[in-house]
Amino acid sequence: MRGEESQTDLGNIRIHKNVIASVASIAATEIQGVKRIGGDLRSGIFELIGKKTLSAIKVDIDKNDEIRLEVPLVIKYGSNIPDIANKVQESIREALEKMTNLSIKYINVNVQSIEK
Amino acid sequence: MRVFTVLGILFYAIVLILIGMVLIVFSLNFLQPQDITNLLVYLQFNTNSRIIVGLSGILLITISFSFAQLLLGRFQKERNIAFTTASGEVTIALSAVEDLIKRLAGVIPEIKELRPDVIATKKGIIVDIRVALKSEANIPELTGRLQEITRSKIQEILGIEEQIITKIHVVKIISHHDIDKKKREQPEKEEPTIPFGGYGRLI
Repeated sequence: MRGEESQTDLGNIRIHKNVIASVASIAATEIQGVKRIGGDLRSGIFELIGKKTLSAIKVDIDKNDEIRLEVPLVIKYGSNIPDIANKVQESIREALEKMTNLSIKYINVNVQSIEK
Repeated sequence: MRVFTVLGILFYAIVLILIGMVLIVFSLNFLQPQDITNLLVYLQFNTNSRIIVGLSGILLITISFSFAQLLLGRFQKERNIAFTTASGEVTIALSAVEDLIKRLAGVIPEIKELRPDVIATKKGIIVDIRVALKSEANIPELTGRLQEITRSKIQEILGIEEQIITKIHVVKIISHHDIDKKKREQPEKEEPTIPFGGYGRLI
């Protein structure tokens, strides 16, 4: 399954995992104190070959159609990390629920680095 | 757990020593290939010895596997600080905490270089800092200040109540003379000149 699927009278609506990752990415970077979304090996390799669209945010959808997110973050120096992490989780939850009507199981934030 | 680690290290040391001794004995010609063949043939044809060899193999694999898992598990466990919120888990990479401490070098002018190493244990967070200081620094006062700044900054930014143990190791004291010498050794950048820039100018 590549994304979340729902059915209407006219047909199916599918939301790709990349869309969920993009929404989460925008919602996270809107929070003051977040420098950028962190990276992983896969996104780093894709970035090297010029494909910058791949987000390092991991999206998993379980059998009950509940979503689990893993969000790597780089935080600005001087920010309170638990506070920022909480705000990011809330912002992502709000944005995803508003834009996709999906139910979020949990949003795991992983602070990878601190930059100025 | 510590006893298990020591036993594991001893076990590996003994095995490696035995292998080394066998190789030395073999190279000194004390051990003939025929002896090894005889031993292997004996082990192969006796049912009891085959069972013992097989069980020893399983035991060795199990010990190696559990020892590696213990080491790797501990390594992975120690590389993050984690806490849970209502929406999920928040993990902070210890390298991020190290980045944070590196930035403190800019706050204290007497510090020339700073290399932190952060470990999270059950006791709390252990910060090991190796510093190079400028010669005018008062070491007890400066290290005390650095410990205090490190502790308060980590608590402020990570928002944790855990104990923070800061160990400081002064590795080098750099004199003004060395700093000046380094500066002098660096070649001065030549200003780019415009070809025929002075042409037509009145002196």
